[in-house]
This record gives sequence, structure tokens and C-alpha cells, in this order.
Amino acid sequence: MINLEFVINILSLGSLYAMLALGLVIIYGILKLVNFAYGELIMIGGYTLYLLTGFTPLPWLVIAFLAVIVSMCTSLLTELVAFRPVRTKSLTAMLITSFAVSTLLQNAALLIISPRARAVTLPRIFQQSIMIAGTDVPWRNILTIVVSLTMLVLLTLLLKRTVLGIALRAAADNFRMTRMLGVPANTVISSAFAISGIMAGVVSLFWIGRSASVTPTIGAPPLLVAFVATVIGGMNSLTGAVVGGFVYAIMISLLGIFLPPELLEFREAFMFIFVIVILVFRPEGLIRSKTTVERIG
Amino acid sequence: MLTLKDIHARYGAITALRGISIEVQQGELVALLGVNGAGKSTTLATVAGVMRPWQGTIHFQGEAIMGKAPEQIARLGISLVPEGRDIFPSLTVEENLRLGAYTRKERSEYRRNLDENFALFPVLKERLQQPGGTLSGGEQQQLAIARALMSSPRLLMLDEPSLGLAPALVDQIFELIARLHQRGVTILLVEQNVDRSLEIVDRAYLLNTGLIETTGTPEQLRTHADFEGIYMGDKHRSKA
Amino acid sequence: MKIPVRLKFYSTPAILVLALLILAIGAELVNITLIVRIATVMFINLILVLGLQLFMGNSGILSFAHIGFMGIGAYSSVLFSMTPEAKQLSIPNLYPFLIPVHLPFWASVLVGALIAALIAAVISYPLMRLSDAAAVITTFALLVIIHVVLVHWDRITNGPRTLFGVDFYTDLWTSAIVCMVTVFLAYLFKESRVGLRLRATRDDAYAAASIGINKVVMRWMAFTASAFLAAIGGGLWAHFITSFSPYAFYLTETFVVLAMLVIGGPYSVSGAVVGTVVVTSVREILRSIENYLNIAKVFPQGVFGFTEVILSIVLILILVFQPGGIMGSREVHWPRFGRKEKDSSELTPSVDEIQGEEHV
Repeated sequence: MINLEFVINILSLGSLYAMLALGLVIIYGILKLVNFAYGELIMIGGYTLYLLTGFTPLPWLVIAFLAVIVSMCTSLLTELVAFRPVRTKSLTAMLITSFAVSTLLQNAALLIISPRARAVTLPRIFQQSIMIAGTDVPWRNILTIVVSLTMLVLLTLLLKRTVLGIALRAAADNFRMTRMLGVPANTVISSAFAISGIMAGVVSLFWIGRSASVTPTIGAPPLLVAFVATVIGGMNSLTGAVVGGFVYAIMISLLGIFLPPELLEFREAFMFIFVIVILVFRPEGLIRSKTTVERIG
Repeated sequence: MLTLKDIHARYGAITALRGISIEVQQGELVALLGVNGAGKSTTLATVAGVMRPWQGTIHFQGEAIMGKAPEQIARLGISLVPEGRDIFPSLTVEENLRLGAYTRKERSEYRRNLDENFALFPVLKERLQQPGGTLSGGEQQQLAIARALMSSPRLLMLDEPSLGLAPALVDQIFELIARLHQRGVTILLVEQNVDRSLEIVDRAYLLNTGLIETTGTPEQLRTHADFEGIYMGDKHRSKA
Repeated sequence: MKIPVRLKFYSTPAILVLALLILAIGAELVNITLIVRIATVMFINLILVLGLQLFMGNSGILSFAHIGFMGIGAYSSVLFSMTPEAKQLSIPNLYPFLIPVHLPFWASVLVGALIAALIAAVISYPLMRLSDAAAVITTFALLVIIHVVLVHWDRITNGPRTLFGVDFYTDLWTSAIVCMVTVFLAYLFKESRVGLRLRATRDDAYAAASIGINKVVMRWMAFTASAFLAAIGGGLWAHFITSFSPYAFYLTETFVVLAMLVIGGPYSVSGAVVGTVVVTSVREILRSIENYLNIAKVFPQGVFGFTEVILSIVLILILVFQPGGIMGSREVHWPRFGRKEKDSSELTPSVDEIQGEEHV
């Protein structure tokens, strides 16, 4: 069962889910907000792909890049218009806002484009595979792994080497103190939303790449995945998000193999039961980070 | 340099400050003393922009600052080291310091402040790449102060810097504050440790349940007939 | 003349019930099928919104799981109210032991609600000790779990497919009367010992704990009660719509109920009522516009989702400009311009108030 194909599938799924979770955690870490509209950013990315591949002669790489940009801009726009004015109210207000934004975006897509699924033309390489060590490996999986890795490296560089990155990590530790050092709240939050949008955009390339079509509700499944992966990783840590993504991929694949057929369809329910269990018994997630250890004296 | 006039502030239905007026001149070391809940931290919070007073004015170097956001206050040169230090546990010591210098753009100033901090706090240089969360309480306090100094603040505000520290470290901290004062840093100090504070400050205010009970130089305060009684919040004593 | 506190106290639910009565009578008199349907659905939605208000308004915690319990109530009630023959037709895979069970309509809805309340009681107890943020997240997880179970447990629910053949029982007056009773219940809960204590924990957890209020138990009781009401609503709805699938009890309905509560004002029973009436009206107006545009083919591709777009924009605007909703935290009462007596629904119940409270 555990062969090269399985491993590559897990790596590809895991790295996709890791990126997915990162986009959600980066906002949660700073604002303590679960952005329910995050899934819709993926939907927007998908619809951008649909519109550009269907109606313009641009090469796919350019279209992909534009989809990521559109996702990012949508994220920034939601922050500016919906989240920023509500930020000073309460966390509950922000949660409800994110739910409202999610509904708004979904139904806007329904209204402006169509309730029916729209086909997206994918580059041919997404259907092709390559022989490695005797197994047929889809190019799509390899690309997912490579792109995710690249994004992870870029994000790490941003967070470790730039002042903005340091400010973002500090804000996740202690937002108020970060402001007291002179870092503008809006800069930090907008950056987080931008990163979230970029992650969603990249994820959309590969998520749509699996089904070759986009619907207004396509954002819901990835949101749930991101949600679970985030909780598994401990909602406060970016490394946790990455680990959570891989753990989710492994768990869901193992459940797919080992669950008896009657229970197979309830996979998702099991994952969410797992979420509740973690939140009740180990809210800091499965990762013990080195900074939770403090010396006394 | 800093003037608070008749500051009123509250948390929801609870009034914390009921008319605080304070002055800090440039180069002074002034203390706010009082028991828990007297309103000392709240006073600092209103200056730092963390809390908005619903009445009263705050002026810093002639400019009205009440109601400004914390990041704006920081850019004006006011640095607050909060109670509990609030260092960033997942950032390294160096990154903590780097962020402290956020409002200063010059590399040379950054290097200079960094070197000064290393001289003042050699342990930070030792632990430069360690995450802040792995430092001991005393080291975190040093880091918090060093971080505040990275911005070359015009006004440094310290909230209970000796809280929770072993006696030897308490000595160290007060010594440090005195040294900074000698260098000319303007400091507003909030403390519960009255004796040690009075040893080093120019002036002090005594707060009690959101009001200023009395103020003066250390000598004046020590010889105040009712000093102990007022300090202990004994409202039944008649005022001399 | 001094107005007795009792009169002012009961004036709130009385006024609300009166308003609902007028709406019901009005719908009955108009006698247009569409209007009657809209009114019936509105009353059912109000039951759901009141249930949510009972938990959310008093505990301050956003619960996404509410509609999940509506679904449990709907499916449970149907399992009892349908005749064995109908059940075998509609749910081919139904467990044999469930086939012969048959109860009259009211009993079915009640039993369904009790089942939902029981499930809520068992599942939710460990969750109530979580921090507010974590609690909200777990309610979302609960919603998803319930949804997945409803969709896939086809031995009970007929799976993702529509369940047909439910008898119609919920007419205008059924829903209206249950709704009016629910208004009373929600109000009584709010002003009961549990309600007061719960609101105290919402506003100042430490002070409340210091006088011995057990936050976990209070929350748990409110959550169970709200699940009960949600299930009542679900049972009524099932016997109104007579055919439904699990997708009726997921995010879309959650959004509608949440919007009604938040727009009206989550901290008061009046808010729930006002919000439901306002949102229902706006929705129906928008929907008729949508229908008109579609029939007249003003836009060739059809207009869908217009109503939801407007509704979500309104919700965001309310959150930005009037986060307390239309009612703020206020209840309607009479007299409005009487002596300024302390209205316990407006102020945070103080610790003194709870210890020295008068039992109404």
C-alpha cells in the first residue's frame, strides 16, 4: 500500500493543504479571526481562471499569475471594506462579518456569472504524467509539491528576513505591543490579508486543477480542510499550520484506506470530531513549540 | 515635556482615573506610586494611546496626544515597557530589539543603540539568537527595557519593572533606571516598591483609587506626616 | 401613578405577541396563498431565531451549531409522524425497528425536540468550559459533523436525497401559536435566574465566578434549551415543507437565521422578533423583484443570488454602524415614557442585583 505513488500523493496533498492552512492561520494568529470568506478567495481565483482562459488568449502562466493577484486584491478589498470598520467592535462581530462576506462573494459569483459550474481550460501538463521508478506520476502532483515548497520558502524568507515579516510574527505573539513599538496596525493586518489572498490564489490553481471546473460553492471544502489543519497545528503557529496540513493529508488518506466502507463517507465527520477533541484537550495543537518553555529565576 | 490634566478614564462601568494631573519635565525621573488598582498602569496606558481618556488632556512637547493610536504615540518618541514585559516569545532577542527600532530608520543609529544595549545588558548579547520565550524573568525584563531604548525614546515609561523579580535582580533594575536617568533619559516610572523608588527619583506622585493623593520630592514625601497612612489607602485617617 | 414593575415586565412579551397576532390575523384575512406561506415560514424562522437568541444573547457566544439541531429535530419528528408505510417508501434503508413507531404530530415534534436536546446536552457539556473563541469554533465543527451525519446516514435520513412524503401539519396558526409561546419562553428564560446569571458571566466573568455562578452549567443549560427550540422549529418546518434534504440545515439557513438575529439585535427578545420580521419582509420584496426580472428576462442569464447579496451587505452595514442591531439591547415595553425604572434587560445585571433579585 505504501508505495511511491502513495507517498507522492500524500506529499502533494499535504503541501497543498499546508499552503491552504497557512493562508488561514496568518490572519488567525494576529486577529484571532477565522476568516470564513477565505474559501471564497479560492473561488475568486477559480473564476478568474475561468474568465481569462475562456475569453482571453493569454498564456496559462500569465493567467495563473493574474489569478493569484486577483485573489490577493479581493482579500485586501474585503479587509478594507468589511473587516477594518468592524475590527474595533468585537471578535464575534468580525466572525459574523466574515460569514457575511463569504455569503456575499458566493452569491455575487452566482449572480454575476452563473449558478452552474463553469469549465476551466487547464494547461495540458495537468493531464500528463511522468514515469518515475516504474510508477506513473502525474505532473500535477509534482508541480503542486514544487510550487508549494517555493511558496513556503518565499514566505519563510519574508517572515524571517524582512522587518515586515518580523512585525507580522510579533503581531501574532502580541498585537498590542507591536503597535506600541510604532508598527501601524493597518500595515500589519493588510499584509496578513494580502498573504492570505496569495496563498488562496496559488491553492486555487491546483484545486481547480483537479476538477477543471468552478462553481460558486467551490470554496467550502477547502475552507473546511484549512480549518481542520489549522486546529491540528495549533492555531497560533505557522509551522503548526504546515504540519497540520500534512497531518490532515495523512489522516484523511489513512482513513480512506482503513475505514470500513460503511464509515468511509463519514471521514469528514471524524476529522471534525478530532477537531473538537483537540480543542477540548489540547488547544495549543499537536505541536509543542520551543517557546512554550520558560525558565524561572 | 509631558502634561496630563484632569484625566478621567474607565473600563466599562468601572472608573479607573478620576481626575489625574501630572507633569514630567525633560530629564526628570518621576514615579507614580500606589497600591494595586490605584490607577498607575491606567495612567501610563492613557499616555501610550492604549486607553482613551473620556475627559482631560494630555500634551507631549506641546502637542495634544490624547486619543491618538499607540503607533502614532510611539512615533512621537514615547516608549512604554508594560507590566509583564510583553516581549515577543517566539521572536529571537535580536528580532525583539530590531522591532524596537521600528520607528528609527537610520542604520547607524540602530547599531549605536544596539551596542549601548549590549553594554548595559551583556546577557542579551549572549542570548542574541535565542527565542524571547526561553529567557528568564529577569532577562526578559532587561530585554523589554533594551527594546524600548532601541527607539531612542524621548520619554521612557516603565510599568512595575521590578515585579516578580528576585531581590538581587530588583537591585539591578533600580540601578539601571538610575543610570539611565543619569544619562539624561526622561523616565516615568510606575512602581509598588516605594522605598527603592524614592531612592532614585526626582519627584513622585502618590495615587489612590484614581486620584492623586499627594506629590513632592522624596524628602517631602518621606516627612509627610500621613505618608504611610495615605499610602496604605487608609481613608479613615484625617488629613494633616 | 406608579406603574407596577410586573406590568412593565410582562408588557414586553405581551407587545411582541400582540404584534405577531396582528400579523397572523392579517395574513389570514388577506388569504393569498403566497402571503400565508410567507407568514408561516416567518413564524417558524422566528422560533429558530428566538432559540438562537436565547443562547447567543445571554452567553455572548456565537453558535453555528443551531441549525444542525434544527435538522435533528426535523428528521426525528418525521421518523415518528410518518406512517410505517410512508416511511418504508420514503426511506428505503430505514432501520426496521424504526418503522412501526408512529406518533401524532404534536408528540412527534416534541419527541424530536427532546432527542435533539438530549444530544445537545450530552455533546455540549465538555465544550462549555472552553474559552469563548474556542467554543465558537467547536460549534462550527458541530454543525459540520451533524451535516455530514445527516447526509450520509441514509438508514435514517435517506442520505443526501430528498425525503418525500411528510404530511402537512404546520399551517399558519400552528406556527403562529408555537411562535408566540416561544416568545414568552425566550423572555422568561432571559429574566430567569439562569438568564441573569448567564448574562453576568458574559459581562464580567470574574465577578460572576466570585459569587458562585457556575458559568459552565449556565451555558450548558442555555445551549440545551436553545437546541430544543431549534428542533421544535425544525419539526414544524419539516411538516410545512413536506419534503427536504440535509442541505436545508447547513450554512445557507445558518446565514439567514444569524442575519435575522444580528440585524434585529442579538441581546433582546424584541431584537429577534424585529429582525425576523424586517428581514423576512426585505427578503420577500427582493425575491419578488428577482422573480420579476427573471420572468421578464431583463437579464438573459437570469438573476440569482441577488437577495442574498443585498442581505449580506445589510448585515455588514449593521455590524459596522449599529452592531447592537436595530434594537440595541433594548426590549419594547410599555409605558415607554414612564418613570425611569431599572430595566434589567438594559443594564448588566450587577452582582448585587443577582444576589438580591426578586423572583418574578
